[in-house]
Amino acid sequence: MFDLKGYGWMLWDGVQLTLAVAVCAMVVALFLGLIGAWGKLSSVPVARLAAETYTTVIRGVPELILILIVYYGVPTLIQDVAETMGADIFVDFNSFIAGFLTIGFVYGAFATEVFRGAYQAVPRGQIEAAYAIGMSRMLMARRILLPQMWRFALPGLGNVWMVLIKATALISVIQLPELMRNADIAARAVRQPFTFFFAASLIYLAITIVSMTVQHRAEAWANRGVRRS
Amino acid sequence: MAEAATRPLTAEPALKSALVCEDVHKSFGALEVLKGVSLTAQVGDVIAMLGSSGSGKSTFLRCINLLEIPDSGRISVGGELIRMTKTKAGRTIPADPNQVDRIRARLGMVFQQFNLWSHMTVLQNVIEAPIHVLKVPKAEALERAKAVLNKVGLDDKLDYYPSHLSGGQQQRAAIARALAMEPDVLLFDEPTSALDPELVGEVMRVIRQLAEEGRTMIVVTHEMGFAREVSSHVVFLHLGRVEEEGPPQEVFGTQKSERFRQFLASNL
Repeated sequence: MFDLKGYGWMLWDGVQLTLAVAVCAMVVALFLGLIGAWGKLSSVPVARLAAETYTTVIRGVPELILILIVYYGVPTLIQDVAETMGADIFVDFNSFIAGFLTIGFVYGAFATEVFRGAYQAVPRGQIEAAYAIGMSRMLMARRILLPQMWRFALPGLGNVWMVLIKATALISVIQLPELMRNADIAARAVRQPFTFFFAASLIYLAITIVSMTVQHRAEAWANRGVRRS
Repeated sequence: MAEAATRPLTAEPALKSALVCEDVHKSFGALEVLKGVSLTAQVGDVIAMLGSSGSGKSTFLRCINLLEIPDSGRISVGGELIRMTKTKAGRTIPADPNQVDRIRARLGMVFQQFNLWSHMTVLQNVIEAPIHVLKVPKAEALERAKAVLNKVGLDDKLDYYPSHLSGGQQQRAAIARALAMEPDVLLFDEPTSALDPELVGEVMRVIRQLAEEGRTMIVVTHEMGFAREVSSHVVFLHLGRVEEEGPPQEVFGTQKSERFRQFLASNL
């Protein structure tokens, strides 16, 4: 049953691409999450509105649709607009970049909520002590706020990461040869869908199990100085 | 102690005022917490601020280093006036955030809840601001930190995280953190109110020692013994106004104000 018929290398190639997409998407998500949280907590109404719109819209639309819109929809839209202005151009996105940007953009909305909660969980006294001793806002954020936010953000971010890993499978619809796509190709080639999809699911499971171990270590580190009861 | 207590507040005009607050007002919404409080501290003064809860004493202390922004009034530290400006909406804000940071670095604040940074050890807490705010070289910051931690009796707890210390030890570490900045004025916001009774003594001993060293301090406290014996000046706040002030013998001796008498009666 587990004879991969010489197509194992395709799964291996796919895993590497899946991990690359996931890591890039997570970096985008963390970055957007911090900015989004900052916007939500801002005293500037426009920033709050922008962040609120971002999380509401993105969390309410299926990732699959967004991927299709970005990869197929946007280039044709650009072409149509160019055509009305008399230019005949051909726009094509790189599926890797379109994929990780879209996934990152989507999970940035979830990370926004995680960071917002983490910020609010940091005791105000910690921040006041930083200001009272003469720290600027930037220094306070870097030395006191962010290190303490990780402690509250890590469980939620771990969650975002796991869902994000699985969401990368959706990028297969735009022909990026990541794990899901390659498993599909191999399954069709040798007509053993169970073997290849089952193998692929075990690989996803392995990735998330390893991720959980890393997350526990990171949480232990972030919780240094916290008394366990 | 006795000499410090008898020294009149304005006897030495040659001394530069460490801290001058004039007519400080602060409201939270419709509630006016400070209705024009003024205070002058000469170098070496130990000012005890008394008052029942809601009198505005903590708010006033927090206005001094702008953790609360006063609605109006003037505050200068070491002769430098903190410049304020108004927003379009009419809110008062500091004109120059850099000036605020600089002045805060010269005012050491000790909080009721200690507020040690929980992700750092005691030593890291103490060297943090000297290194990153004052840009002191690390070796020197470490030396300073060990000296101040020795002074507060915590030289054996350098590598402990705050959560593994008792309240009294945490507060002494917080005092060390403030001292490591070599501040011109120390502000204490009810430093012993969050402590178990048996831990109050160890913290008050450190604060007394600092007073006897001639440090300029403003101490918001409920410790009448400290106000009576250690302070050079007592300020009694009631409903956002200075109800009574003067050297401790005078204030505790004559008790001119009925409110102060009531306050003392309920705090003995």
